[in-house]
Amino acid sequence: MSSNDGYLLLALFLIPLGTAVLLMFVPSRERGAIIALTGAASFVLFVLSVYLFSRFDYEGAQFQGVKAWTWMENIGFLGEKGIQLKVGLDGIAAPMVLLTGIITMAGTWVSWKIQHRTKDFFILLYVLVAGVYGTFVMLDLFFFFLLYETAVLPMYLLIAVWGSTRKEYGAMKLMMMLVAASILIFTGIFAIFSEAGLASFDLTRLFGAHYDPTMQKIFFPMIAIGCGTLGGMFPFHAWSPDGHAAAPTAVSMLHAGVLMKLGAFGIIRLGFQILPEGAAFWAPGLITVGITAALYGAISALRQTDLKLMSGFSSVSHMGYVFMGLGTLNVVGMSGAVLQMFAHGVMTALFFLLIGGLYDQSHNRDIPNFSGMAKQMPIWSIFFIIGGMASLGLPGLSGFVAELHIFVGTFRAYPIVGGLAVLTAAITATYLLRMFSQAFFGEMNPRWSGLKEITWTERAGATVLVLSILALGLWPSPWVDRISTTLAHTIPGVSL
Amino acid sequence: MGMEQVGLLPAILAGAFVVVALFNAFLPRRGDWLVILAMLAVIVIGFLVIKDFQTYFHDGEFMPRGENAYSFEWVNIGDGLFVIDFSTWVDSITVVMITVVSIVALMVMVYSVGYMHGEQRYGWYYAVLALFTAAMLTLVISGNLLITYFAWEGVGLASFLLIGFYWERQSAAEAAKKAFITTRIGDVGFLIGIILLWREAGTFDIQQIIHFAEEGGFGETYLTVTMLFLFMGAVGKSAQFPLHVWLPDAMEGPTPVSALIHAATMVVAGVYLVARMMPVFDQVLIARDVVLYTGLITAAMAATMGLVASDIKRVLAFSTVSQLGFMFVALGLGSVSAAMFHLFTHAFFKALLFLGSGSVIHATERQEVEYLGGLRKKQPITAATFIIGSLALAGIIPLAGFWSKDEILHTSLNEGSLPVYVVLATTAVLTAIYTTRLVLLTFFGEPRDHHAYDHAHESPRIMTMPLLILSVLAVVAGFVVFTPVGKALGFSGGITELVFVEEPEKFHFDGAFALGATLSALFGIGIGLAYWWGRAERAERARSWAPELHALLVNRYYMDDLYQAIINRVVLGAAAVIALFDKRVVNESGIDGGAQSVSWFGFRLKFLQTGKIPNYALAMAVGVVALALVAFRTS
Repeated sequence: MSSNDGYLLLALFLIPLGTAVLLMFVPSRERGAIIALTGAASFVLFVLSVYLFSRFDYEGAQFQGVKAWTWMENIGFLGEKGIQLKVGLDGIAAPMVLLTGIITMAGTWVSWKIQHRTKDFFILLYVLVAGVYGTFVMLDLFFFFLLYETAVLPMYLLIAVWGSTRKEYGAMKLMMMLVAASILIFTGIFAIFSEAGLASFDLTRLFGAHYDPTMQKIFFPMIAIGCGTLGGMFPFHAWSPDGHAAAPTAVSMLHAGVLMKLGAFGIIRLGFQILPEGAAFWAPGLITVGITAALYGAISALRQTDLKLMSGFSSVSHMGYVFMGLGTLNVVGMSGAVLQMFAHGVMTALFFLLIGGLYDQSHNRDIPNFSGMAKQMPIWSIFFIIGGMASLGLPGLSGFVAELHIFVGTFRAYPIVGGLAVLTAAITATYLLRMFSQAFFGEMNPRWSGLKEITWTERAGATVLVLSILALGLWPSPWVDRISTTLAHTIPGVSL
Repeated sequence: MGMEQVGLLPAILAGAFVVVALFNAFLPRRGDWLVILAMLAVIVIGFLVIKDFQTYFHDGEFMPRGENAYSFEWVNIGDGLFVIDFSTWVDSITVVMITVVSIVALMVMVYSVGYMHGEQRYGWYYAVLALFTAAMLTLVISGNLLITYFAWEGVGLASFLLIGFYWERQSAAEAAKKAFITTRIGDVGFLIGIILLWREAGTFDIQQIIHFAEEGGFGETYLTVTMLFLFMGAVGKSAQFPLHVWLPDAMEGPTPVSALIHAATMVVAGVYLVARMMPVFDQVLIARDVVLYTGLITAAMAATMGLVASDIKRVLAFSTVSQLGFMFVALGLGSVSAAMFHLFTHAFFKALLFLGSGSVIHATERQEVEYLGGLRKKQPITAATFIIGSLALAGIIPLAGFWSKDEILHTSLNEGSLPVYVVLATTAVLTAIYTTRLVLLTFFGEPRDHHAYDHAHESPRIMTMPLLILSVLAVVAGFVVFTPVGKALGFSGGITELVFVEEPEKFHFDGAFALGATLSALFGIGIGLAYWWGRAERAERARSWAPELHALLVNRYYMDDLYQAIINRVVLGAAAVIALFDKRVVNESGIDGGAQSVSWFGFRLKFLQTGKIPNYALAMAVGVVALALVAFRTS
């Protein structure tokens, strides 16, 4: 990747922002224009994301495509290169950028059927997307945090205005918990800033600075809990099932698909890459939290009857694998964690897309109310089963690749936890197959004979997601090479 | 074209799967011909692979473990630390498996043209058959345990899809779910075992792991635990006790599928796995004993359940479970050759029996023996071939089943102990009894349901042809044990001289032993004849003879009920507790409670803001006095 690709990295963040600004000047009644604009923007973003992912040199561990523009320096507490707009990509951010591209495009397509204040919806959605892309590519702690918050804040309005089922409660709960968590991150960021003594927010320089081990041990858990809350880390996951249940389809997709990954990404960027000794000290804690979440989420999901709540608890369980993988402190397990971020992102986006496709017609998501849906909506059912199979770790699909790495990494460090993790995959199979057998198979419930197959845009979105699931599942090395090289070389103390 | 191209076998069928699954609506005849054509191509290439294997076998060194034919790096972390190679491996075990899978798959695909005629989702059926066969072939040519696992789950998926083929029936949906989850429990152990092997050996490559184990690289206890985990996978897939419960229910699938997946190929994957890993099992004899006794318990238990089952397919399913138990007993005694030999012959006669039962079901639309009877007049070909299959299963000389069962009994007496032999021999008698019962109640005596009987007719030729071919194989397949037959087929000897772990064994015909085995099979048939000779009353009498025992057997030792109770009470109970904890403690107390306490404090504290000047003045005065006191204290 050449350094000129840095302009493309900047474009990843400017295009959605520009789209949001442009949308403000489009009259709301011009639905065609809104659709054309968002369609074009999301397609360009998708192509850019794929291009950047493929151009990324997987043998290089350092940041690639680095470009910096100084914004503020030598004023107040800021020294030389205090705050810069600095972009760059490493092997962890590259798959996340790809993930964002995929989900943004699919999410945009399915949102075209929103009738209520369409324009405002897309403005907020694209501000959110700009924040997400920005966080993944920014190499400056100031902008990192700024954009992290930019990604989170639109959620409140998106859920409270366009949501369903207890939407005000869900929006408020999500926002309160995430803002409270941000305080921890904010504190952590300033602790890092002052301890490094560089008077600069430049991440690449902060990576090399010296931090007192005691300070690392104190601030790592703050970062981990702060970012972990967004990542749905047990026991700070409470916003997740309710938030997902309340959110509109595209928001659920982006949220579970990308935003939760932002949390785990923050733990790697701020926690592992800056505070490695703190991370090493707290790694057993991450393992404990991870396996607890994996089992807890899976067992809770057994009892859920609302499809979205089931998906929400399933997310808690799958994100538990991510924290467990990070806690292994070896390259295989940690690569698994990043792979799982990608894998969970696409499959959970697929789930929410499909649940939305059903709910928009039936206004019902209660599993026992459905039966024999495979008759009424065969295409919908097939997509759902593929997503479910990916979720329960069927080889050939994305979930297996990620889980395998996590299991292997965990077995190296903690065999018994590894055994429990494999067992969790069997519990996942149980709740998903119970749901399939209840809702999809059997006699068709005549109450739903009016339901139509999902729309063409939904089918297209689901196809893109299924192709991503298959791509990672069948040919994982493009992902694995990028991720593992970066992890092995940028985190001190990580064993092979 | 040779062993390097063995990867083509699954690749062709996988391609057929993709095309037929996506485009069957646009293909003439929904693409069944495409799948059958692909299968024929696979057979041709498979034949070339076996030919190549033979030449390799003849010149130069005798290498029983074949050759690592082809390899493709799938994942590589840290330059060789964590590598998954898509590698293939062809040896004599592979050759046996390729032969079995290709022949039975082709027979089933041809037979299905008639059996599945006019079904909705006909194209989907053929697509999944292609998927299954592709995965099964991947399983048997894989040289890497993870690729084996990959294919292992693939055949499981195909099995799930085909058991649930008639998913509008709730019972089929339930059976598919049960099969998937039960085998998945075994797979948890399988995956743990694979990872534990990797943890010490640092590789997933089967030959390297075997080498590592033979060098003594594993600790004794570690390896025992690991191999037991690995064996869990085999127990689940091959429906052995205590995970056998899914196989009888799996009969909800279309009958040709039962023949292919649930009799001849997928369910023997566990046997194949243990045979493949036998050099490692040889290092830990405790694990081998577990294999032995699991097989023994299953063989006996399933045979007793087969005695009372009334559904023709379920009798055959119990029989399959029981025969798989025989194979595991052989493996537990360390005899890969006996197990693989029985696997080979069993595949043909059991596929024959299933397809025969399919022909009966196709004709009568009944599968409970209470409603059948006398069908030999209506379905002469089906009846004749079914009887041949039954005699092979019962172990009558010179049919296929005789030779392989004899080999296992022989091994159990030589390598095992007398009790093992006695249990197996008794089970063999039970096998003859339930087989006889099945044949009598289906094809002989008076028809019990006249509507079904009048309706019945011989199946079309496309269905009887596979029956005839398989019945020929059920007669002759056992002869591969003789050295001249093996040589005539181009191999260096009979099957036991080909498939082995340490030394080739030449087959010795023991006349006295064979006579004993034949007499005991005839004894079993005699009991069956005496008891059920075509009379419904006699079947009734069997029931009233020992009602408690009958109830125990009919309810399958209540194991299904036990598992259901565990799931309902324990698993879902725990889930309810945790879900309640999440609701009450995490959400309502933790999050909402926190928020509510803030608003409660806000409510209380707002009364301090009274708006009255004297109150504020008082507060200020108290503050000043307090500060003054503190100041005095410190100075």
